[in-house]
Amino acid sequence: MSELGLRIAGLHCSVEGNEILKGIDLTVEPGKVHALMGPNGSGKSTLALSLAGHPHYDVTAGTATLDGEDLLALAPDKRARAGLFLSFQYPAAIPGVKVPNFLYAARQAVRPGELTPAKFRALLLEKMDVLGMDPSFLGRYLNDGFSGGEKKRLEMLQLAVLAPKYAIMDETDSGLDVDALKDVGNTVKALRASDEGRPTGFLIITHYPRILQYITPDVVHVMIDGRIVKTGGPDLAQRVEREGYDTLREESGALA
Amino acid sequence: MPSLPTTDERSAALTAFAQTRSGREKPGRYWKIDLETLVPEASADGTAGSVAIENASPRAIAVDLKSAAREHAELFARAFRAAIEPQHKFAHLALAHAGLGAFIYVPADCALDEPIVVRYRAAANEAIFPYTVVLAERGARVTVIERLELGPEAFVCGVAEIVTDAGADVTYASAQFAPENARVLFTRAARPGRDARVAWANAELGAGLSVSDVAVTIAQPGVDANIATLFFPTGTQHVDVVSNIEHRVGDATSDTLVKSAASGRGQGRFVGNIRIAANAQHSDAALRDDALLLSEGAHIDSVPALEIAANDVKAYHGATVGALDQDSIFYMTSRGIERAQAERMIALGFFEPAIDRFPTEALREELRTALQAKVAP
Repeated sequence: MSELGLRIAGLHCSVEGNEILKGIDLTVEPGKVHALMGPNGSGKSTLALSLAGHPHYDVTAGTATLDGEDLLALAPDKRARAGLFLSFQYPAAIPGVKVPNFLYAARQAVRPGELTPAKFRALLLEKMDVLGMDPSFLGRYLNDGFSGGEKKRLEMLQLAVLAPKYAIMDETDSGLDVDALKDVGNTVKALRASDEGRPTGFLIITHYPRILQYITPDVVHVMIDGRIVKTGGPDLAQRVEREGYDTLREESGALA
Repeated sequence: MPSLPTTDERSAALTAFAQTRSGREKPGRYWKIDLETLVPEASADGTAGSVAIENASPRAIAVDLKSAAREHAELFARAFRAAIEPQHKFAHLALAHAGLGAFIYVPADCALDEPIVVRYRAAANEAIFPYTVVLAERGARVTVIERLELGPEAFVCGVAEIVTDAGADVTYASAQFAPENARVLFTRAARPGRDARVAWANAELGAGLSVSDVAVTIAQPGVDANIATLFFPTGTQHVDVVSNIEHRVGDATSDTLVKSAASGRGQGRFVGNIRIAANAQHSDAALRDDALLLSEGAHIDSVPALEIAANDVKAYHGATVGALDQDSIFYMTSRGIERAQAERMIALGFFEPAIDRFPTEALREELRTALQAKVAP
């Protein structure tokens, strides 16, 4: 099918009347890893949240489709059921909602009736073991009192349990130590060679190239001031590491 | 020696009821009910209604109030009227009609694992005045669960009292799901002994009007006093809860937790009083109160009132009033969970810290089910 992929074309997005995204074109194919790099304030998180359907982000022009389905016409829960996953930079803490109850509700919503509670629990424990998460997580409330690292691990657990078609990871690497970064890398690797359904396509948003030592991207994009100014292979990430964003900014003329 | 009130005492109690202010003269903007002029349709001999008591322990005494006054007069006299205070307006009314009730006595060092359950029943249009008295001796431990089974238009004006000796541990839970045209007023007062723990856990989920006074008087050091209340007016329900923790001596802790929500045109008010006397040094008092507004017509007034006269104490107060958090809803829906289900899960989760304070998993599940029905009718 020619329509396969998370396809973003000419996307413009505003927040409270300020245009943040000024025409984004990007296609993530199944099983591929795209890295989206850029300085703070370039619009990376806006792209992530607008694709997930956050109500504060107004898409003013352009299209976004997931395997041919019009994402922008769907409510956030339907986007997830279509196969989209966003690993949040700042996941919400929800006291009183236990981690396994939340995960089971999510799994049932995304893949209805596939797993009994007992089988789900076994799956959960298996994935938690891979991520080095203590079973005591299951007794805790969702992100409530979690450290930054614990929140990110829980995002990875959700990613592993939901096995989406496409995953956007919004600065999952920020605040993580090397061991945690390796676990993120392994989670992504496992889903690229997915045992459930088909290989997941990734859009990995990052400020620093560090995470790309653990996840080798197929394509690297650099975003500055709401536009993708350069697209290339893994060597583009190395260039960012060497030179920072300033030379790319000058080349693109975005400074003016 | 106080036994059940005499005829003279009953008419004196009625006078006291008429003369005592409820402390609710300034209700919230949306509060339409004047409790000062509330006139109960009383059956003055206290014969209406019935009580059933479940007690598995041969060591504890758990009998109806009249039997207790007759057969365990000395024990009964140690606790009856020993915790309520003159300012408890509705306790005067309950005393004036006292007759229906339960007396629970747990002897020294007797720890009961099974809760004692007290069920009060009133038929349609009946007015009942249930009076529960708990006396726990040194080192005794007991959990009491009080339930109401009411017919339509029933009126309840009740009292629960806890009196303990040193080192006792009493948990008293009540949960009412009364019909929406019933009225339920309760005064609950505890007077724990040295190093004793008392815990009130109250759920006001039914009744068109429910009025709840919950109090612990700390007159001995080492006391650990707990109050947990949850309420959730929906439709046209009114709920009014006043908590009173009085630190009269120091070196004691108290913890008050109130979780409330309102939807439809539901109205609620919570007044949380904590008083720490000048000589009650090293008191440690916490008051946490969160209210969730689920519709535009719903309203909850939250009035914390801390009076602290001592200078070497810990006193914490935290309160929130607001709607469901939009970022929380977005987070859950972004995982595929439908918005309505996400809202339900978040609202139920909001109550969970208070539900946690109730005894028995069966009761906690009953509360979750009732709350769920209120969130998504």
